[in-house]
This record gives sequence, structure tokens and C-alpha cells, in this order.
Amino acid sequence: MGDQPVDVERAGENVAGETPVTEPDAVTDDTTVHDDDVELERTIGLVGGLAIGIGTMIGAGIFVFPGLAADNAGLAATLSFAIGGLIALLVALPTSELATAMPRSGGGYYFISRGMGTAYGAIVGLGLWLGLMFASAFYLVGLGHYASAVFAELGIGLPFSPVVGIGLLFGVTLTALSIGGTENTAKIQNVVVGVLLVVLTVFLSYGILDAVGVFGGGTVPEQFFSRGYFPVLTTAALVFTSYLGFAQVATVAGEIKQPGRNLPLAMVGSVLIVTVFYVVTIFVATSAFGADRLGEFGETAMVEVAREFLGLPGAIAILGAGLLATFSSANASILSASRAVYALSRDALLPRKASAVNLRYGTPHVALLAAGGPILVLVATGKVELLAEVASFLHLVMYGLICVALIVLRRRDPEWYTPSYRVPGYPVVPVAGALASFGLIAFMQLESIGIGTVVMIASYLWYRYYAGDVTLKGDI
Amino acid sequence: MTDRPTILVPIRVLEGESVPEGVPELLAHAHVVLLGYHVIPEQTAPGQAQMQFEDRATDRLDEYERMFEEAGATVERRLVFTHDGQKTIDRMTTEHDTLAALVPNATGPVENVLVAVRGAVGIDRLARVVAGLFKRTDATVTLYHVADPDETDEDVETLMNGLLNRLESLGMDAATIETRIERDQGPLDAIVDAADAFDVVVMGESDPSLATFVFGMPADQVADRFLGPVLVVQREPAAEPDE
Repeated sequence: MGDQPVDVERAGENVAGETPVTEPDAVTDDTTVHDDDVELERTIGLVGGLAIGIGTMIGAGIFVFPGLAADNAGLAATLSFAIGGLIALLVALPTSELATAMPRSGGGYYFISRGMGTAYGAIVGLGLWLGLMFASAFYLVGLGHYASAVFAELGIGLPFSPVVGIGLLFGVTLTALSIGGTENTAKIQNVVVGVLLVVLTVFLSYGILDAVGVFGGGTVPEQFFSRGYFPVLTTAALVFTSYLGFAQVATVAGEIKQPGRNLPLAMVGSVLIVTVFYVVTIFVATSAFGADRLGEFGETAMVEVAREFLGLPGAIAILGAGLLATFSSANASILSASRAVYALSRDALLPRKASAVNLRYGTPHVALLAAGGPILVLVATGKVELLAEVASFLHLVMYGLICVALIVLRRRDPEWYTPSYRVPGYPVVPVAGALASFGLIAFMQLESIGIGTVVMIASYLWYRYYAGDVTLKGDI
Repeated sequence: MTDRPTILVPIRVLEGESVPEGVPELLAHAHVVLLGYHVIPEQTAPGQAQMQFEDRATDRLDEYERMFEEAGATVERRLVFTHDGQKTIDRMTTEHDTLAALVPNATGPVENVLVAVRGAVGIDRLARVVAGLFKRTDATVTLYHVADPDETDEDVETLMNGLLNRLESLGMDAATIETRIERDQGPLDAIVDAADAFDVVVMGESDPSLATFVFGMPADQVADRFLGPVLVVQREPAAEPDE
């Protein structure tokens, strides 16, 4: 990939009189270049990109959802996860094309605001920011469940449920760490993801062998669609939160090395890898106990599955892995949320102050606090399923619009639009991706749809009030 | 660009690092690649830091650029916001094909230069840096070699004569060049000890990555203990390493 001029028309100013920041002159394998001699270094390689994607996703799908999903859909929850993975793939492909054409921070928000204009961009951008908060809160509540299970395992009986309290505690810790910590979090993230994949592979391999009867146990015979067909789709809508991570890779697109090659590989690769892990996990978990008993175990069902197979050491290993995984998911989401704030304030849709960097730590403290505060409120509700669905809703709206933006850009075919990766099967894939994304929303609970819609309307009103004059659409 | 050696001067422009006294004069005959860089933690998008700090950093770089130009150097400059300072420096050395990098420490007027010679490898680049920077000055250059125990006197003589000839052919006056041979001492300690009496040290890089030299162990040992500027001559760039 050579130099790519990102020729985008920006104009107008917001209520505070701020205008969007100038677009860069060129994008290379190693940098984004502004004004000839100012460069933004790209430092995240393929492994780092995969770790962001997988690290964000693996926490939820494996460690929080198996019990809930099996309770809703029976053994067919396996199919729900496969559907989720398919939709994620249908969106990841178009997202890859857009990301190689516009490898800038902000991901989906950036593509949509440039492809379809400021109004759509604002709804998606603010929605993405809030959606990431819902997702972080969801991961933190999951983390709370795991930490509580540790107490239970140690035989410490508490007179109250510590789930929410622990979630809040970790929420505060994470926010503080993100503001004050300058350690190399990406390297830690890579190691965590590596360890998780190893633990899971060992565990799942054993589970599969057991399920097919190698160890004499044999599988619990069960009807596949024990809850009927409809719950398969509602469960797919619920567990779609497990597939939000690949968009986080696009959020840091401005920092990925060789974006033309690494972005598509990281996004599509992480979706494929986690889909396989999810499907196998659900299969193994439901085979071990049957959907009914699995459902009774709730959020930490995987611990019981591990205990069944491998005894106490297995339970402990999965507990540890669950803590790590939910923690890394929450961490990655908070960081993405602050990237989203940056992208919005760069384009004058939020006050520039919102992405201010403090000199002492070099971290965007305003954005991180603005994410951390609401996250705590959301954690305090403790409603796993609602948080997950609202997060999915807001992301699905973005995913659908990403696919639409791709179609719009392909049809208009502006001169600056030169993606180095082109989606296979155009226009079928993006059309299917858009329909599937919007379609999945219909299977959510009314409450989640309501909250999600309110967030979108509020985002639109904010845009009209604050930055109604700002135009960001790309030149034709 | 005639025979001006290209020298990379990396400066952490927002962390109070500046161009120390004497450095512009030292590089008066060089083509300076002035790299202002700012390392930010991973929580922050590089663009975020750029949005806030670009103006301040540009002002400082303007000032530094002027200092080098007034001293007589030609200057090219870059401002980079990065998560990884090493990667940025390595990239700069390849993109600009620099001969050496400067560990910027203050110095007075340069009267004598210590050139640490390790071996025949990379000697041409070493010669080009030394001749390019100092042939038009009054500074005396001391070629300094710490011999291995199994190195014979003839080996050493061949090495030093080779370098001398190369320097002369590049236009240096042999009268300003001395040679010193050391035995029975660790090279690093020997260099640091000897450097005390000199204003500037020129030495070859011994690690594959220049950055480990600028920030890593040997640099700490030489640049920290020797308080003046150190010019680290890079090895010949390998034929485009493909990943």
C-alpha cells in the first residue's frame, strides 16, 4: 500500500466555535502524515491487533454467556453463537475494506461520518461511545460474578451478594489504572490472550473427547431445539455482545502497522477464532450437563463445567481465566471508548476539552473519567442481560450502517476511496450484513430496544444542538 | 549533498530535552535530521497528543532548526508522536539513510575527538562521519583501539593505517590525527576512561538496533559516564529485511 490521500471535505463549526481538525496528507505503512513533517507512528502489529480483537471478545462469550444462553435456547444455543459469528463475519469483511481505505482512529464512526455525512456519524459515534460503556459495564458485572465465585470456592459466606460491589471496585481500579498507568498494557494484553487461548484449548479438547464418549462418560442425550426455534434467534441477539471486539480493532486503525494487510487479517481472523471457541465451548458445556442444569448455574456455569471434567484444579483454572478474560475485555472497551471520544472531539462533535491529554501521565483523563463514571452507574444496575443487549443494539446499528456506508461509497466511487482490500462477494455480503445486523435487533427485548433508541435520539439531538453546521462527508 | 554526513539528532521535544550547548557547532558540517518525538502511553491515540501538543512542539523545533542552521548545518526535520520511541528512531535511520546518531549531551568548543575503532567492519562509514564533521575544523582526532589479546601488533597496524588512509583520501590532514592503542582492558571501560580527556566520542554501534545503543545498555555506560556528546555510527543497513 502506498501513499493514500484521504481527501475529505470538512466545514462548519460547533457551538463552542471549534472546527474539525485538518485531515492528514497521507497514510503510509508506518505513519499517518500531517503537513509533510508531522507524523503519527503506527506501532500495533498483527499480533497486537488480534489480541485486541480476541481479548475483547473472548471474555463475554465463554465466561458469562454459556449458562444464560443454554437456559434460553437449550443445546441450540450452539447455533445461536454460530449465527452471531456469521453476522459478525458479514460485517467484519466490509469493515475491513473501509478500514484499509480510511485507516484512522475512530473505526465505524469515521467510516460512516465520511461515507454518509455528519448526522449518521454523530448518531453512530456517540452511540458507539455509549455502547462501549454498556459493554464495559457488562464485562465488569461478569467479572463481579467470577470474583464472587472465588469467594464461594474459598468457602467464605457473605451475607450479601458481592457481585455489584466487586464490579464497581474493579471499575474504579480500571479507570484509575488507565489514567495513571503508563506500563506497557498492550504487551500484557498479548500475554493474557495467549494464556487464555492455551487454557481454553486444553479444556475444550478434553471436553470434546469426553462428549464423544472417549472417557466413557458419553454425552447427555438431548433434543437440539429443546426450547423451540424462536429462542435461537433471541439468544443470538443476546449473545451478540460476545462479537463486539472486532470493531475495537477498527477503533485503533490509526495505530496499526501496514494497515492494508493487518487490519483485514486482525478483524476477520479474530472473528473466526472466537467463533470456533464459542461454538465448541457451548457444545461442550451443554453436553456435560444438559441445558437445564447449565442454565441454573447462571453466569459462572463454566466453572461447574470445568469441575465436572477436571475436578477442583479445573474449576480454579477456569475461575482464574474468567477473571482475566472479563478484566481484559473491560479494559479494552474503556480504552476504545476513549478513542471514540477522541475521534468525536477531533471532528468538533464533542468539546475539544473532552479529549485533553494530561501532561503528567500523557493520558486522556477527561475522556477516561467521562467513560468511567457512567460505567459505574451502569454496573450498579447489575443487569447482565440488559447491559449486554443495549451494547449489542448500539453496535448493531453501527454495523448495519457500516455496510450501508460501504455500498454508498462503492456506488459514488470518490477519487480518494482506494481500499487495498476489497470485500469479496460485493454487493451480496454488505447487503446481507446490513440486513442481518438490523434484523437481529428485532429479536431483542423491548426494554433494550427502548433504551437503545433513546440513546440514538439523544445523540441526534446533541448533534443538532452542538454541531449542526459541521460537515464531514467525503468529497465525491 | 556533497560530503556532509547525515546525522540523526533525536530529541524528546516535550519532555524538556533541548539541543544542548555546543551541539549545533559540533554538527556545523553535517546534514542534520532533527527528530522531535513524543512518546505517549497506549491509552492515548497519537493524534490526540498531536491535537494538543503540535503547536508547542513545532515552536521548539523551529527554534532548534534555527540553531543548527545558524551554526552552518543543513537541516531536515520530523515531528513524530509515537507509542514506541525505538521504532520511530529505527525508522528514521532507514528512511533518511543516516550515517550516525547523536546522543545529545552538552560540550564546549570541540578541540579533540576520540574515535573508538572496533574493527574493520563499518570503518568506511566511521571515516565518512569523522572526515565530514571535523576536516574543516581545528579539532585533533585520536583514533583509539582496544586490542583483543589474540590480535597481533601487525593486525592493529593494518587496521589503523587503513582508517588513516581512508581519512586522508577524504581530505583530512594527517597532522591532526593521532593513534592510540590500548591492551589489557575491557573495551567499554577503556573507552570511558580515555574519553575523559576528550570533548566528543565517535564510536560504532555494536547492537543490531541503533535504538538500544541510544537508550540501551552500552549507551548508558558510555554516554552516562562520559558526559559529553556521543556520535553512534550505524552499521551498513542490511539489504531490505523483509518480514
